[in-house]
Amino acid sequence: MKAPSLLSTSHRATLRNRALPAAVAAALAVATLVSPAAHAGTREQAMRLHDRLDGAPPSQAVLNAMQAKIAGGDAVGAAMLAMSDPNGLFYTVTLKNFVTPWTNRAQTAFAPLNDYTATVIGMVRDDVPFNTVLSADIIYIGASALGLPAYSTTGNDHYAQMEAQGVNLMTGLQSAMQSTVTGLPSAATAGVLTSRAAAAAFFNLGTNRAMFRYTMINHMCADLPTVMDITRPTDRIRQDVSRSPGGDSRVFMTNCVGCHSGMDPMAQAFAHYDFVYASDPTVGAIQYTPNSIVGKYFHNNTTFASGYVTPNDSWSNRWRTGPNSLMGWDATLPGSGTGAKSLGQEIAASDQFAQCQVTKVFQAVCLRPPSSAADFSQVSQTKGNFKQGYSLKKVFAETAAYCMGN
Amino acid sequence: MNSVAIQSRAAAPLSSYRVTRILGLIAALGASVLLAACGAGSASTTANPQSSPVTVSAQAYSGAAPASADVEAFMVNLWNNIQGADRCGACHIQGNQSPMFARSDDINLAYQAAQTVVDLGKPSNSKIVAKVGGGHHCWLASNQACADTLTTWITNWAGVTLGTSTAQLKLVAPRLMDAGGSRPFPVDPALFSTTVYPVLTQYCSRCHSPNALTPQSPYFAQPDVQAAYVAAEPQLNLNTPMQSVFYIRLADQFHNCWNGNCPASAAAMLSAIQAFAGQVPITQVNPSYVLSKAMGLYDGVVSSGGPRVETGLIAKYEFKTGTGTVAYDSSGVEPQLDLNMTGNVTWVGGWGVSIKNGAKLQGTTTGSAKLHDKILTSGQFTIEAWIAPDNVTQMGADIVSYSGGDTARNVTLGQTQSNYDFALRATTTGANGTPLFSTPTASMAVQATQQHVVLTYDAVTGRQLFVNGVLVATGDAQKGGSLSQWDNTFALVLGNEVSNTKPWSGELRMVAVYSHAMTQSEVQTNFAAGIGERYMLLFNVDKYTGLSQTYVMFEVSQYDSYSYLFNKPVFLSLDPNTHFNAVTIKGMRIGENGANVAVGQAYATLNTSVSGAGFDPSKGTGTTVPLASVGTVVPLYNGPAYDQFFLTFEQLGSATNVVVEATPVAPAPVYLPLPSDIGVRTFEQIYTTLSVMTTVPVTTPEVANLYQALQQSLPAKADLQSFVSSDQMAVAQMSIAYCDALVSSPSLSAVYFPGFNFSAPPSTAFNSVGLNAMITPLINNMLTANVATGQFLATMPSSAAVTTEVTNLVSKLSGSVSQDAAGTASIVKASCAAVAGSAAMLVI
Repeated sequence: MKAPSLLSTSHRATLRNRALPAAVAAALAVATLVSPAAHAGTREQAMRLHDRLDGAPPSQAVLNAMQAKIAGGDAVGAAMLAMSDPNGLFYTVTLKNFVTPWTNRAQTAFAPLNDYTATVIGMVRDDVPFNTVLSADIIYIGASALGLPAYSTTGNDHYAQMEAQGVNLMTGLQSAMQSTVTGLPSAATAGVLTSRAAAAAFFNLGTNRAMFRYTMINHMCADLPTVMDITRPTDRIRQDVSRSPGGDSRVFMTNCVGCHSGMDPMAQAFAHYDFVYASDPTVGAIQYTPNSIVGKYFHNNTTFASGYVTPNDSWSNRWRTGPNSLMGWDATLPGSGTGAKSLGQEIAASDQFAQCQVTKVFQAVCLRPPSSAADFSQVSQTKGNFKQGYSLKKVFAETAAYCMGN
Repeated sequence: MNSVAIQSRAAAPLSSYRVTRILGLIAALGASVLLAACGAGSASTTANPQSSPVTVSAQAYSGAAPASADVEAFMVNLWNNIQGADRCGACHIQGNQSPMFARSDDINLAYQAAQTVVDLGKPSNSKIVAKVGGGHHCWLASNQACADTLTTWITNWAGVTLGTSTAQLKLVAPRLMDAGGSRPFPVDPALFSTTVYPVLTQYCSRCHSPNALTPQSPYFAQPDVQAAYVAAEPQLNLNTPMQSVFYIRLADQFHNCWNGNCPASAAAMLSAIQAFAGQVPITQVNPSYVLSKAMGLYDGVVSSGGPRVETGLIAKYEFKTGTGTVAYDSSGVEPQLDLNMTGNVTWVGGWGVSIKNGAKLQGTTTGSAKLHDKILTSGQFTIEAWIAPDNVTQMGADIVSYSGGDTARNVTLGQTQSNYDFALRATTTGANGTPLFSTPTASMAVQATQQHVVLTYDAVTGRQLFVNGVLVATGDAQKGGSLSQWDNTFALVLGNEVSNTKPWSGELRMVAVYSHAMTQSEVQTNFAAGIGERYMLLFNVDKYTGLSQTYVMFEVSQYDSYSYLFNKPVFLSLDPNTHFNAVTIKGMRIGENGANVAVGQAYATLNTSVSGAGFDPSKGTGTTVPLASVGTVVPLYNGPAYDQFFLTFEQLGSATNVVVEATPVAPAPVYLPLPSDIGVRTFEQIYTTLSVMTTVPVTTPEVANLYQALQQSLPAKADLQSFVSSDQMAVAQMSIAYCDALVSSPSLSAVYFPGFNFSAPPSTAFNSVGLNAMITPLINNMLTANVATGQFLATMPSSAAVTTEVTNLVSKLSGSVSQDAAGTASIVKASCAAVAGSAAMLVI
């Protein structure tokens, strides 16, 4: 729900009563003069590229350079120019708001900059292979020259200050080893999955299944209802899942089992992680306990005592067979492992992961979902290119070039 | 009297005091027994081979004293209850029908006779229980109730309730049966495409298709019929069409019925499934399967389960009858406190009742008075219940209550959303049992699933609540009171208040009341004992092991009305001379009625090897080899008397049959009508774009503060379809703030509008030169144009058009602002905002 529109007191004092409505009316009048359907020349294409990627109008110099690139048949190069506009708004605004919804349960962009978002931004900027986003020992923090408060495992002030100061994220981020910055063992790092923001959102309370579910949503473009499969083995469904909800086991057999049979064996990868705090979750920290399973895995363990008792953090991908084998899991990986890092690798190596990233970018820069045969062909082609080095920046460039108009 | 002492089987000599107490008890009880002929009542009966019942009055026992503590236990717990003339004492007495276990002349002889008809190790297996349960002179309306009551008495005698059970697993080789046939799914989807598929595509494709707006898996209604067929198979049951998920979802779960008519929708779906199934011939189990012999549930050996603690039992409801409108009290404690059902109470499979829509089960006030009497004597009590609440939203719902209405009660177990409530009348609480003692909200104690809930009370500890063996509420602030204010005119009621004002929805599987406050250990013992009858099913696999009497054994029970619980699988041989070595067991699946079940194959991932020796009864399960630690539920199709189970294996020994799943078919891309190719800038893009257009930094407090208040009113999505008028208002406000900051800043405005005279009044500031000095910078900065070189974007308004509009705006405003520099500034701000807040900025 949107907040009510307010005009500050100072504005009311500054503007005469009639100026505001007149300005609105005039703006609407100007609006009618816009001709979006007009045939796009190279300059208009350059303008759209810049608008879609950078989000703000270009300078004449940048526009001229982009136009020249397009005229020379290098639309992707023009898109790269837009993304490297010195104003940095592709990173500071467009990419940030592209990523921020992945970092909270409400899936809203109206959330502060955080280490999850910053890490994705940095990886895109530096062309770090994006298929490591769920597994690498990596984090991006503010450059030391910015005078920001130090990164804290118990708070987000480092990033909130960066945003408040209007730091250009194209230049203001620097890469670091996550294990060095956060103190997690390197083997326990799993890219953005073990970022503080992800932990605060998805390891907080609950059963840690949220981390799996939101990873599916954000990186596989597949919420659980789209991957239900009641035919998978039920041996790894935990004790807290009622086999007879309300005394009716049909509910379990026709619904619950469809998600839990696949989800529980994979969410087991997070069995050593928790998000802990005294009373205020904004000052909480991720906690990794390599020698013990976090207590939440045993909550409600009498609901179905014959259910699975989590003994360790080994995971198994039961969706490698059945309908969800269509996700295109990497045959060179074993489909099982231990801990979040290898699960992140399993997910990011799938064809669905690449398809999802490209589809999300398509929506972001084309302002619509893939809709036609040509669109799907483009997505397929870009996905193929993406899997050669996993440069998400190129995905943005190629897709924006496809949608720049003609 | 201390029941623990009475039931002790220690061989201590009887004191004269205790004998006196026993005789006194018997005399008192005998006087209360109704005099009636053997077999009186409406129960069905079977012929008695020596049917010459004599009518004798129960009277005080005057024979020899019990010779041992065990005889004493028999006397108190069983003989005392059956020796009456309305029960076994009508026939099985001295000089009459043998065995004379109800004889009244010598309790020691009666004890010896009783040994021939009881099984103390497994009371429910006693001959006397089977006889009466089969209809032989049952004194209640329900044979089952008589059998249960007798079982309770024998159990009390045996001391099983005190955890002294010596019951051992007595496994017997089952008769060997081959699995029957079934209707397998045809490979060709032709039949499906003409029967079920049309219904699916017509009514389910809005969700269950990849081209739906919000696709829901499985995609059984997708355009590709082959792919749809593969997705639909797990939702269909050709052997029992009414067990198809497709049908259940409509008929019982009301899942998106069409035309607002679930019965009709379900009927249409069922008809389609039946049409499909009816054309598929029955074929025998796939001969390529590596499969065990078959078993029905009742072919299994009844498992003794764990011991239960029933010290001080007063009333007990196991809901085994399965028919009629009475839930019998099987506690064996007189008087019988049976409960009459009113409203929507239905029996559920696996023992239990379902209560809906304000229904209830209620006893008489006179019968209920035994609760009052016995609990007041002990000053403590326990209420134990196995229940399954329908939901965690019902409030003020009474589950078990001994009360007189809305405002008066002795004790109540209730539900308020996720909390269980314990109301108790004591000298420290009110007449309505308040203040309530409840489980902590944070514990979310109530789950909409089967739970073991126990209330205990004694004056020292006060009220306590246990859920599934865990103490979830203790520390009763009102402890220390006595129960002296209890009212013996109240009635026991389940599922509602006696006044019908506190309805509860859910299932009751067992309810018991005790005049003893259980310890946590005792509660946990009863929780561990579980609920319902369990059977050990032995699936013979000799064909593949080449050994004698080798089995995979499961503990199986009916889990609820719709499923069976398969649990604790082990491998064993009943031949003590058999040794098995490294027998491979891989990919074990549960089959039912001729086909592997689609859901619940928890052992499909099994991959193990077993070694061991033949079963040694003296070691119980110590000579079995566990195969898995988890249990699983599988569908109930035709009922426990009819469903037939078997096991299949991908590998057993050296025999293999690798299961190859059907290859899923990728859905074809879905082409949509081409949506709009343009959109709008989103909130922060607008914020930064206006900064670029006006050159006012985003960190300027005036704009930054407004943005913080306004950002969620700006467009959150680029989609034109979601753009609303309030978005435009927010855009206008943001534009005005930026233009205000621009014009109000002498340094910024001087650079932005070079040559424009801000100190002149409107009348002179907006002459032709002045207008151009204001409009040209706006066009250059906001429309990404270069007026000087004539570079305009075709997607932007033309310079001339914008100039005309802004000129008109200036003209309109000139007469309505103050005729001074302030008025001039206002007009510039408005002109700036008109361009900045327009679609020229917004649309991308």
